[in-house]
Formats: sequence, structure tokens, C-alpha cells
Amino acid sequence: MINITEAAGQYITHLLADEERQGLALRLAIAGQRPGGFQYKLGFVREDERAADDVVIDAGGFRVIIDAESAPNLQGATLDFVETPEQSGFRIHNPKTQWTDPKAIAIQKLLDEHINPAVADHGGYVTLLDVKDDIAYVALGGGCQGCGMADVTLKQGIEALITEEVPGIQQVVDSTDHASGTNPYYQPAKGGESPFA
Amino acid sequence: MQRLLLLMTTTTYRAQAFLDAARRLDIPVTVGSERSQALAAVNPVGHLTLDFSSPAEATRTIVEFAKAYSIDGVVAADDDGVILAAMASSALGLPHNPVEAVAAARNKYRMRQILSETGILCPRFWRFPIDDDPVAMARRVEYPCVIKPLSLSASRGVIRVDDPGQFVAAYHRLVAILQRPDVAISPRRSAQEILVERFIPGSEVALEGLLTHGQLRVLALFDKPDPLDGPFFEETIYVTPSRLSAAVQDQIASCTAEVTSALGLQHGPVHAELRVNEHGPWPLEIAPRSIGGLCSRTLRFGDELSLEELLLRHALGLETEILERERLAAGVMMIPIPKAGILRQVTGQENAKQVGGIEDIRITIPLGQEVVPLPEGSRYLGFIFARDSTPAGVELALREAHRRLTFVITPTEARPAQGEHVSPSTLGADRLPLLEH
Repeated sequence: MINITEAAGQYITHLLADEERQGLALRLAIAGQRPGGFQYKLGFVREDERAADDVVIDAGGFRVIIDAESAPNLQGATLDFVETPEQSGFRIHNPKTQWTDPKAIAIQKLLDEHINPAVADHGGYVTLLDVKDDIAYVALGGGCQGCGMADVTLKQGIEALITEEVPGIQQVVDSTDHASGTNPYYQPAKGGESPFA
Repeated sequence: MQRLLLLMTTTTYRAQAFLDAARRLDIPVTVGSERSQALAAVNPVGHLTLDFSSPAEATRTIVEFAKAYSIDGVVAADDDGVILAAMASSALGLPHNPVEAVAAARNKYRMRQILSETGILCPRFWRFPIDDDPVAMARRVEYPCVIKPLSLSASRGVIRVDDPGQFVAAYHRLVAILQRPDVAISPRRSAQEILVERFIPGSEVALEGLLTHGQLRVLALFDKPDPLDGPFFEETIYVTPSRLSAAVQDQIASCTAEVTSALGLQHGPVHAELRVNEHGPWPLEIAPRSIGGLCSRTLRFGDELSLEELLLRHALGLETEILERERLAAGVMMIPIPKAGILRQVTGQENAKQVGGIEDIRITIPLGQEVVPLPEGSRYLGFIFARDSTPAGVELALREAHRRLTFVITPTEARPAQGEHVSPSTLGADRLPLLEH
């Protein structure tokens, strides 16, 4: 299913040795797609936080849980751990880089060719997370994440274009965690304006 | 088809609520904002860049736009847009508040002047240039009193003082606030002035109302169960319906109607803050806008209509009178900032959401950002929302949910350096560092 390098395995084992992480498993998921490939989410979860259709891999010393939707797109991927003087962290090498759903492919094309070039001028980017039925789920990153006008960009721009150009898509939903952003979302307006008089 | 012009600045909390409301009404929206929008080219009719600091010029832009795309209603999402909304509505021939009434409502001193001339309960007040001698000011005023900047809103910079010594200390603190880099010093004269008024003891309420051709309709009355006696005035819990007697609630509604009439407000939302004591209701502020932040989520009307949907309907001249607030009690806690520093972690959210009656918890300051309590700051950590069969149940739920939350705030200078190695002990349980390709 996936390969785990020795460096990654050792570091995960090291993290799991921490008392607070005893008995946890590693969950790996595809969180969306940007130009150049998928985005991933990696974290520890309790073993009982596992869906019936999750794929579970015994990595020797710990388990890796992958949700059923991510699993086909992670086939053959390698999880590595990189440590240099400049940075340290996990890296995923994945031979698969593209969506398979035709609606997702069409939306990704709009994002790559029209939406992201325009949003990039404002320091942001839009990631397609998923397409389910007639709804596309996206996340707004960079300057968009946490921006008070992200909803305007979403509803008046992204959704307007996608629903017009991609048959079968009726709605675009923002799944961004805006509280993790760095833009001045929820900050007071000019002059110290705040929610209350 | 009707079209609505929605005025909002890029720091608004409320874009989603208003756009969702427009979607439910199936009304096309043009968003007027002070900055050009990233995807304006994709949907040019949906965006309009306006200079909010120059409402006359912005009004001309709106009128030109309306020649090509008819505008049937103008709504300001927040305080920043209310003057422009009034001017644009006037130019377009739409029902609106007189511009001078909106301007008076936005100026604490002007409002106090008007109230004192009409016989409405109003504390003694004094206005001083910010560069006046604080010792001389301290001698002129009466105690206890509240010192507040004319240029800031919310409770930012508002400090209660009980004697001349406290007055001088508070004055210097206020001057420091006005010199903070995040406080834009406006060239307006009011930015250079402070207002001092006698402290009014009593409980505090907030009234959400809607004016239609000068007639006030009360949409909701919120109790604020936490005492606001100073020295700072941090909002925390709002609960509706009010537990005050029907007679007192009537007095509050009548007082608010008198104030809106005295100011000359005519049409649109009203958010009023009043103190209530044995003398009756004392209006603190009457703003020609709806309740701010995410607090409008506490209000539902008719068949699950949001406050924003009600306001858009009103702006477009659609039926709103039959839409009554739901029967359930509802409330919100604006989560106070307990100390200054960097917000590192918020724990206990899932546990807090398990409290009966809690509907949602929204932490609205991103992790890693600086948090500043009142009076220097002006934000909240987030919002807790609750509904229950009784106001007491709502208040209890909000307090219990808040008790279950823990906020890790470290001193500002403890910010980790960029690229610093992340040790296992500082990693969260649910997220590991992933590197970009």
C-alpha cells in the first residue's frame, strides 16, 4: 500500500514513545490538491477513531490508518522523514498526482488556469479538497486563509465560475480552518472598530 | 430581478452571513468593498471597489454602476459602511436614514448633546482635546466617571475612574492606546478628543431593532448578566429574551424609540446599548447597524431566518413584520482575553461542545497571533453559542462551556524563531509537520 522509510519509521516510533501518545496510530489522508500534486494530512489518532472502511497497515511497531477515499490515490506512495539544518518534517513521495473524478478534473483545471492565477495576485491560493455529488469542497490558503473577504471570493468568484463551467456542481463549500490563518480575519476594522458599539 | 448592494470592508466578520442570506433569498448581490477583489474579473457585476473614506466619491461610483445594473437595496454589514449606505440610498431614491442622523449616532459627543437637549436620561459629560492638561481635566469632572476616546468603538480605551489620581493614570493609558500602531489615527477632529461622562450604575442590556419609516420594532432584547462596573468594560454574555420585567422592557423599547427619533434615524437596523437602574433606562449608544461580530447567530426568525436575511428583506421592501423571533432562549459568550501574549493553544473544545444547549464554539483569533485584553485590545478570543428553553439555561450552558476551555497564552517574547526545530514535546497530538515538495 504505502512505503515508510527507515527514517520516518524511527521518528514516528520516537514520537510514539512519548507517554501522551501511547497506543496512538498514525492517520494519513489526502487533504486536497494543488498544482503539482496532492496535499496531505498526517497526524496521530486513537485506534478507536477508525471507520469501518479505513485501510489499516501494520508498519511494525505502529499502525497507519488511511481512509477509503484516500487509499487509491496513496497506492505506491512513500512516507519519508527529512532532517536538515534548515528544516525537519515528513515528506510524501506519491507517483499519483491527479484526480480521477471528471468533475474534480474540470474544477482543478479552472483552479489552475483561472482562479489561482488571479488569487495569487492577492497572495492566496485555492485547493480543491473533494467533490461529492453536486458540491465541491475547497480550502483557501495563503493570504485567503483568515481573510474577512474569503467568503466574497468564494461565493462571488469561485462558486460563480465553477457552477457556470462545470455541469453538475451546484455549490462550492469553504472547508478552510480560518482560525489557523495569518490574515487579519476578525481583526478590528480601521479605527479600532469591533463588533460592539 | 432585484439586486442588492452589500457594503463591507475587508475586515468584516459578516460576509458569510450576509451572502448566505442573499443566496437563500435568491437575490443577486454586488459587494462594495474598499479593496479590489481577487476574482472581480470573473464576476464584474458582483464586485464594486469603493473608497469608504470618501463617501461622496463612492456614492458617485455607485450611482454610475446603478445606471447599468439597477440596485434595489443598500445594506451596510458593519459600522464602516453606514454613512455610505445612507448617502448611496439617498442618491438612488431608496428608503434610508438621513446622513446627518447617521453621523450623529456615530459620534458619542454629538449623541450626548442631542440626548441632553431632549430630556432623555443622560449622564453629565465633558469633551476635552487629547492634548489638554490631564490634571486640569481631572479637577473639572465628577466621580465616578468613565473616560473614553471619541475615535474608538467597542469598549476599547474605555476606563472607569473613581478619583483624580485614577483619572490622570487612565488619561495616560488612553493616550498610549491612541498611539498604538494598530490604532489608525483619523484626521477627523474627534480622533483627537476624549469624552468623559459620569458612570451610570445599573445593569446593561442590548436592544436589536428595526426602523421602518421612523417606527421602531424591537427584534430582540439581550440581558448582559455579567456586571459591567469597570474599570474596563468587556462584553461577555448576551442572552435573549430578557429576564427583566415586561414593564422595564417596555421602558427600554420606548427609550430607544425616543433616542432614534431624537437623532432622526428613520430606516434600517438599530443596535442600542442601555443601562437600567432605578431611574429608568439610560441610552449609552444607539448605532444605525445590526449587532456585530458573529452574535447575530443567536437570532432566528420565522422559519429559521437569520437576522441578515431579515435585514436584506427589509432593505428590499419585502415582508418582515410577520417574522417573529423564535421561542427558544438564545445567547452568546464573547470569550474574553484573560491576559496579553501569544495564543498558542486552545483545548477542551470538544468537551465544551458536549454541554447541553451549546450549539457551536468559534475561536476567531488564529493560533500564534498576539492577543491583547481590554482596554488596549478590541477583540475576543471567539464566541460560544447556546440555545435552551430558558434564558437561565442558556447562561448556565455558556458559563459551563467556557469553564471547560483552556487557552494557552505565552508571553509575547516567547515566539519561536522561524524554522526552529519542532520537538516532539511541542507537537500537537493530531498534526505532524509535513514538508512541501
